[in-house]
Amino acid sequence: MSAKIGELIFLQQLSKRFKIPSPDYVVEPVSQTEVKNKLQEWGSGIVKPDVLAGKRGKAGTVHKVSDYREAMQLLKKVASTQVGGLQPRTAYMVQAVPADMELFTAITYNSRFLSPSFTVSLKGGMEIESIPDSDKATIPVDVFQGLNAYQASETLTKLGLKGKLNSAIARCFVNQWDMFISTGMQSCEINPWRVTKSGQIFACDFKATFDENNFKSRDIGLQLPEYPSAEEALDEEMRIWSAESHQGQAHVSTLGGKKIFPILFGGGASTIIIETLAQCGGDPMFLSDFGGNPPYERMKKTAEICFRHKLGDASLLLILGGKANNTQIDVTFAAIADALEEWVSQHGPLDIPVVIGRGGPGLVQGLAVMKKTLENLNMPYVFFGPDTPITLVAEYAAKLVNYSEKKVKEEK
Amino acid sequence: MRAKSLSDLLKKGDRIAVSNITGREASKVSIVSQRYCKNITAGWALGKEGQTIEVPGIGAIPVFGQFNELMAAFPTTKKPNKIIVYSPPDAVYGDVKEVLEHGKESVETIFIITEHVSIEVTAKLKSLADTSGIDIMGCNTLGFINAHDRVRTGAVGGDAPDETFQKGSVCIMSNSGNMVNTIATYIKAAGMGVSYGISTGKDSLILTPVKELIPLAMKDPRTSMIILYVEPGGSYEEEAVTYLKSIKKTKPVLVYVSGQFAEGRNISLGHAGAVVEGRNSMATTKMKMFDDYFGIPVFDPERPKIFKDLLSENKRGIRVNALHDLVTAARSLTEVCGIETDFTPVTRVELKPWFINFGDFERKLPSSMILQPGIISEPYGTLVERYVKSGFGRVPSRQPMRNSSHASSNDGATPRIYGYSVMSLMRKGSFAESVLLYWLGQPLKHEFEAKLFEMGLIAALTNGPGTISSQASKLSASAGNPPNTAMIATLAAIGNVHGGNGQESAKMLIEVFGQSGLTDPYNQSKTPDLNIIVAEYVKKFKKKKALAKDAGLDYKKVPCLGHPVFNKEPVNYDPRERVIATYLEENKIYNVFLDFYQRLTRGMTVAGVTNKVHAVNVDAALTCILMGIAWPFLVNKKITVERAVDLPFLAFALGRVAGGAGEYLDHRESGTDMDMRVPVGECMYLGRIQD
Repeated sequence: MSAKIGELIFLQQLSKRFKIPSPDYVVEPVSQTEVKNKLQEWGSGIVKPDVLAGKRGKAGTVHKVSDYREAMQLLKKVASTQVGGLQPRTAYMVQAVPADMELFTAITYNSRFLSPSFTVSLKGGMEIESIPDSDKATIPVDVFQGLNAYQASETLTKLGLKGKLNSAIARCFVNQWDMFISTGMQSCEINPWRVTKSGQIFACDFKATFDENNFKSRDIGLQLPEYPSAEEALDEEMRIWSAESHQGQAHVSTLGGKKIFPILFGGGASTIIIETLAQCGGDPMFLSDFGGNPPYERMKKTAEICFRHKLGDASLLLILGGKANNTQIDVTFAAIADALEEWVSQHGPLDIPVVIGRGGPGLVQGLAVMKKTLENLNMPYVFFGPDTPITLVAEYAAKLVNYSEKKVKEEK
Repeated sequence: MRAKSLSDLLKKGDRIAVSNITGREASKVSIVSQRYCKNITAGWALGKEGQTIEVPGIGAIPVFGQFNELMAAFPTTKKPNKIIVYSPPDAVYGDVKEVLEHGKESVETIFIITEHVSIEVTAKLKSLADTSGIDIMGCNTLGFINAHDRVRTGAVGGDAPDETFQKGSVCIMSNSGNMVNTIATYIKAAGMGVSYGISTGKDSLILTPVKELIPLAMKDPRTSMIILYVEPGGSYEEEAVTYLKSIKKTKPVLVYVSGQFAEGRNISLGHAGAVVEGRNSMATTKMKMFDDYFGIPVFDPERPKIFKDLLSENKRGIRVNALHDLVTAARSLTEVCGIETDFTPVTRVELKPWFINFGDFERKLPSSMILQPGIISEPYGTLVERYVKSGFGRVPSRQPMRNSSHASSNDGATPRIYGYSVMSLMRKGSFAESVLLYWLGQPLKHEFEAKLFEMGLIAALTNGPGTISSQASKLSASAGNPPNTAMIATLAAIGNVHGGNGQESAKMLIEVFGQSGLTDPYNQSKTPDLNIIVAEYVKKFKKKKALAKDAGLDYKKVPCLGHPVFNKEPVNYDPRERVIATYLEENKIYNVFLDFYQRLTRGMTVAGVTNKVHAVNVDAALTCILMGIAWPFLVNKKITVERAVDLPFLAFALGRVAGGAGEYLDHRESGTDMDMRVPVGECMYLGRIQD
């Protein structure tokens, strides 16, 4: 998963380095005297949680304050209040910037241009898609030459912003580009830039995503924080495990389902299998992709982690993938079979049905290993080869788990 | 885009160079590709110049250190025009730049297979490629297949492209590489084959997206239908639909859009590019966009008639909700659009279970849920017979073994063999027991087995100084070599016809008894009827021998019979085999394999297969001992057949190498330097003097 940062890290580590004007701030824990002094200096401040909020943002947890006692109370309250189920790292207070004008900018890689693109809008503080085309402009940026002041200025002119301010803002935009390209970012937004009556410019909120594949983001010289997240223990452990190696995929996203435990292979196949399971009431526990020809040890540890977290609660084990191009089925299945045997030896017998469908190199040897293991473990099974469509197998698995669950409930 | 047609991207006659060809995946895929279509000219990998990638039966792929060296090695007409990049992510930019610099005269397309290339590098590659006029597919493409020309790049089709891709008229374009194969397999059931299978890649930036490829497919003479597999993320399909709307006559398009389930959940799908950024790249938006373009709702397989009517009004195509509905939808489209199917379908889209065993769980299911195993198609049927249904020997599974071993371990304090402490083996066991533990992975079941094995090792020590293995040791000593060289020389001079015949004998015994139900080779009361087995074997052998003789061919003899040293004795016993047989008799131990061998020698003479009285030689006896030891492990699938077959040769080599050491010690002490040399006067030249 790509690293993301919010405004506080920008203020602490990036804004000065890249000469992007930004408001003053203090971070909780902070002394009452310092808060008092800052508010005397600023007039008023805004208390915010340091959290990577989703689409709904930090609404409800952002407060404008001018009294230092209130500010102190809010800093403590906001730091301890969850936002969209996420616990903030801390809370901070930024200088309130009275705005005469607001702008929005975003730099990202654009699938239309197949290059970076720079978007600027004169309507800040809202979703870019909600802004009419007449109030925003997107231009491609040459990835080698970067965004130059002339391009930035011209874009502002098109949106009707001329004069001295145009040139000052354009310089800020170029600095934003420099930060984007120098740190290996995948996208970065400043929403909004606030311009005071006196023409001072401030970057007043920020979010960015780094490209984990870009060496610059790995060697950035920044202390990127671990934001608390709402992810489940399985997602967290798999995220760390996945990042340890690029040999084979180890991708898991929990879905909150309670029935089918899916071990899936292939980015495309895993998506359509989960889609089919969800459509047919299979209630999959997570989305997984373990393709990309993982070596035995990698696959075994992946299976071990997933089994440890979820297998005990599952009603059906589904091992399914299309016809593999590279993934050795004998290797991956031997690893899964060994992990399953170990799980059973630690946790006791498991009598849930196992549905398997696969194709690819070493298929029959892999099926032979798995069949033997399931027979040893006395688990009911059905195996399909590459001549049965994976979506039909998924449909059957969804029916199987539902029917058996229904029967179990009836018996109870 | 440089390519003006799909075949410009890959056709027969294209010459391919592969970067980082010595890598794990690149070399494996290149070998399969070379077997399939022989289109790889060469590869390059830093520091690996001079190496080759051997392709059995085809020839070697040369490896150069750098791309410019590779290009310099070929004349202009033979220089590669397609490039496959398998370089590590951080090396992709440099390698592609090298290609653009040194290959601009000949290179037309670069396929970047590498995953995890940074998005910044991807954008830079696009910029460079546009400047150079070279097309780039990827990054993170699986490759491309031209089924009519039977050529591919990358791993499309896996290790058996012919199995999946039958030539036909459907062009498959997919974000997912695996889905190219899967869809090609599905649509066979609609009687449709493939013109081109294209994996566009699914990183955030797709450098040759569908909006570029669809116009080429529209004018491709081999393509009459396009199938798109689409994921969330990107604006590629939106631009493709804009193009489709702009043209008057289109070929029908079948679309499957995946990823709808992920909407509203904070999860990432399997591919890097399947990240929704904005409403327009969501799966539901893409679904609606295609439905609007087609002018009809998503395909419903339950109402084919209604959809045929809808399709006949508007022949642009249709979207399906389940991937396997592509088959029914494709059938409807062919009928409505008057497209001829490519072949008569031989398969149907249905559940075809290979193995099923629900046990007690079956009682919980209605009859509609209980499936019956079907016929497993080839080549899988034969493999299933071999690996699954044959209840003999363990099925091996493979894994990288560079730093791991099942056989030994050492935690820094205790070296172990298959988990057994070497120190405890030293205290309680024997050398023979320990060797067999190392070779079998299990302790012996009977005490007498170690004794028998040791007798076999003693017999293998020597058969006199004239044997070629002893001669090799003496030759080495005579040349002044150290002891290890003499031992190596001894080992180097044994082979299939000297010492290795035990392997053939083991194969024969497994073939004869493998399906006989034999479980305990030491229990005479439970052995199958040897008279019948011998009679059948002799009969088959006699027939084979007669046929071979009629055809003037050599025939495969019964292994380990009629050893040259003993086969002229009036009573044909190998005295070393007699020692083993006597030990067995005295200790009331039965060995079914030795019994079989002894009956076989008599049976061959009685049946007139040979006029000699063959002896069961010591190699056969050693094999019978080892098969007796290994048999229960084979039956219980603890060891592989391959391992069991190697045991006799290993035992002979172990005994004989100790014998070779004895010859070395003697020769070094008493021989003179170069005394094994044959004097010139004793050597004969058999040719004609030429000058």
